Amino acid sequence: MSAVDPVPVRLARGVRFRRLPDGNGVLLVPEGVVNLSESAAAIAELIDGERSSSDIAAALSQTFDAPQATIESDVDELLARFAGNTWLDDAARG
Amino acid sequence: MRLEAEMDAPRPLSILAELTYRCNLQCPYCYNPLDLQSYRSELPVDVWTRVIDEAAALGVLQAHFSGGEPTLRADDLVNLIESARKRDLYSNLITQGTFLSDELIARLEAAGLDHVQLSLQASHAGLADSIAGARVHEKKIDALRRVAKSGMAVTLNCVLHRANIDDVEAIIAIAEETGVRRVELANVQFYGWALVNRGALMPAREQVERAAAAVASARTRLAGRIEIDHVLADYYERFPKPCMDGWGRKFMTVAPDGRVFPCPAAPAIKTMQFENVLDRSLADIWRSSSSFNAYRGTEWMPQPCKSCDRREVDWGGCRCQAFLLAGDAALTDPACSLSPMHALVERAVAVENGEPEWVPRKMKSAG
Repeated sequence: MSAVDPVPVRLARGVRFRRLPDGNGVLLVPEGVVNLSESAAAIAELIDGERSSSDIAAALSQTFDAPQATIESDVDELLARFAGNTWLDDAARG
Repeated sequence: MRLEAEMDAPRPLSILAELTYRCNLQCPYCYNPLDLQSYRSELPVDVWTRVIDEAAALGVLQAHFSGGEPTLRADDLVNLIESARKRDLYSNLITQGTFLSDELIARLEAAGLDHVQLSLQASHAGLADSIAGARVHEKKIDALRRVAKSGMAVTLNCVLHRANIDDVEAIIAIAEETGVRRVELANVQFYGWALVNRGALMPAREQVERAAAAVASARTRLAGRIEIDHVLADYYERFPKPCMDGWGRKFMTVAPDGRVFPCPAAPAIKTMQFENVLDRSLADIWRSSSSFNAYRGTEWMPQPCKSCDRREVDWGGCRCQAFLLAGDAALTDPACSLSPMHALVERAVAVENGEPEWVPRKMKSAG
């Protein structure tokens, strides 16, 4: 995936993000509940089927006031791990 | 004001709702209890709805609907999935698929079902139907194809044992061919009917090793396309499975009659009393019942668990297996190589595999 990838990212069917009352983010997947770290949750929460990976990085760089290039590599790494677990929808990623 | 012990109770993540133990199949490895006829009295849907509401209020995030065959209560199942959805719970249907008409699939999807786990008995009808005790394999393959086509997330599940474990590559090929993204290959666990049939179901060690190699190579070939979850056989490993991730830590099971178990195999522990949702709230049972508190944490542990570095990894293994094999649920799981009773498991692996006949699961005349 390149940093200028315009393809929207979407969670696969059977995968849901949920923000719990205590503020923690979890990914609900067929095999169970994945407790996400704060940064992983911030990324997962922005996966909406419309934003591309660079859109997500751009949104986060505003929220956290950090350079977009730094955040982009984190976003790409997390999305690659999600994809490796078949938690992302291929169709949306082309 | 709550008692301190109640505040210390961990929060459940997941509930297994066993809507009925009725089933039209007779799989000899079913983990359901042997006295199936004593669960004939099934909770009505309004009580199940209350259970789902109480589970959500307790912090449960996932509801797994199972049985028996849960689609035998199709209308209730659809209602309960809607209730789960309203409470923002993730819902999972565990089914053998023989009643999944297009109409039911559409209703389940409209109700908000997140995931379907559909089980096959083997890769081809000859073997699969002899395991199921009914001519259902082709129908199940058709159901699998239709669920996958609907777009709902689906996992193909197959319980592996002596008769079908050499079949893993062909089972994975069915997932590829039907468009399924997840496969769960679970070695048989010896509870309920499977323990009765242990001699006939126990694979040879070479079979277990060959299957593990076949799964590893399929995983490499299918990486990113199909996720393969391979649940190994605890009888063949050095350390026991961390059953339920610890007793009363994350999971609870509600049986068809309303009894609540810390593990689906727990009714096997005949020395233990279990509470019923007809008598007490789910929260009360989770926090304060003697059954859920019996083996929580590490205080109850005997040696060698108590001083073991893995005590919060394995949680002593499985309480039900300790009771079934060693006669005491408070002992180290004999599947652990450090257990003084481990010879029970080694002997079963060495001696038992190869017995020819199994007893089919039946509602009556069990055990």
